[in-house]
Amino acid sequence: MNFDTRGLKIMVVENDRTVLEIIQLRLEVAGFHSAMARTGRSAIEALANFRPAALVIEMNLPDMSGLDVLEALNSSVDRCAVPTLIMAKQLGQGDLKLAISLGARDCIAKPFSGADILTRVSRLLGKSAPIQGRSVVHV
Amino acid sequence: MNAHAPVTQELNTNVSTTFDVLAWEIELAGARCIFLDTLIGELMPTVPPEKRERLIQGMHAVDLLAQHLTSLSAFSRRLSEVVPAESGVEVSKALADITLGDLADRMRTAFGGEEEAVDDRAEAGDLDLF
Repeated sequence: MNFDTRGLKIMVVENDRTVLEIIQLRLEVAGFHSAMARTGRSAIEALANFRPAALVIEMNLPDMSGLDVLEALNSSVDRCAVPTLIMAKQLGQGDLKLAISLGARDCIAKPFSGADILTRVSRLLGKSAPIQGRSVVHV
Repeated sequence: MNAHAPVTQELNTNVSTTFDVLAWEIELAGARCIFLDTLIGELMPTVPPEKRERLIQGMHAVDLLAQHLTSLSAFSRRLSEVVPAESGVEVSKALADITLGDLADRMRTAFGGEEEAVDDRAEAGDLDLF
């Protein structure tokens, strides 16, 4: 592991259960703690009570767009800049600009691999990517 | 979890989406293997030295399986990008052959079918905090 990820909490907002579990497992193996939400509303509620080290959010959520979530978070007085990675299958130039103006720092296009998302989260935190898979073998 | 998914109605999609859905599911299987590999590694110090060689063999097998799956996922993902968008396929009968209910439900949802709440975590709006 190139840096200490222990205790770093990552909030992931994604409706697709498969994608959500991939990200959760990859983050856990890398030593992160993760919080998962499947809707924008539940994400906003959760983010009212804690501040994650980073936010990973899908733009196309069932109840609202990821942009709506970022907008709601920005209107909160408690909102400090949480490094945010947005995920999208397709994202127009206008939406990308808006996302950046709302605090997004990076965008990952779907589909991606588990390794890709870990690299991008690490980069979001200003670190190099943790080593994939097994980290230490004690013999 | 092991309920055979019933064929309720035709579910038409395109081949690109089919490869895409497959890629995600294979990627998830790979992520689970990597998780398992890590767990085994964490348990290694608790295993008597004379048993460790066997455990290392197991770790190696799981590691190979993870690489196998992530490679297949990449292959399927790439195919999803290059197959003609107009190629259609009916997937309901193939889905019925998947014996893991949760897997079949996730795939059915990804193909545009309705999500069935297999367990509590499948509820829309589910929030899992630490």
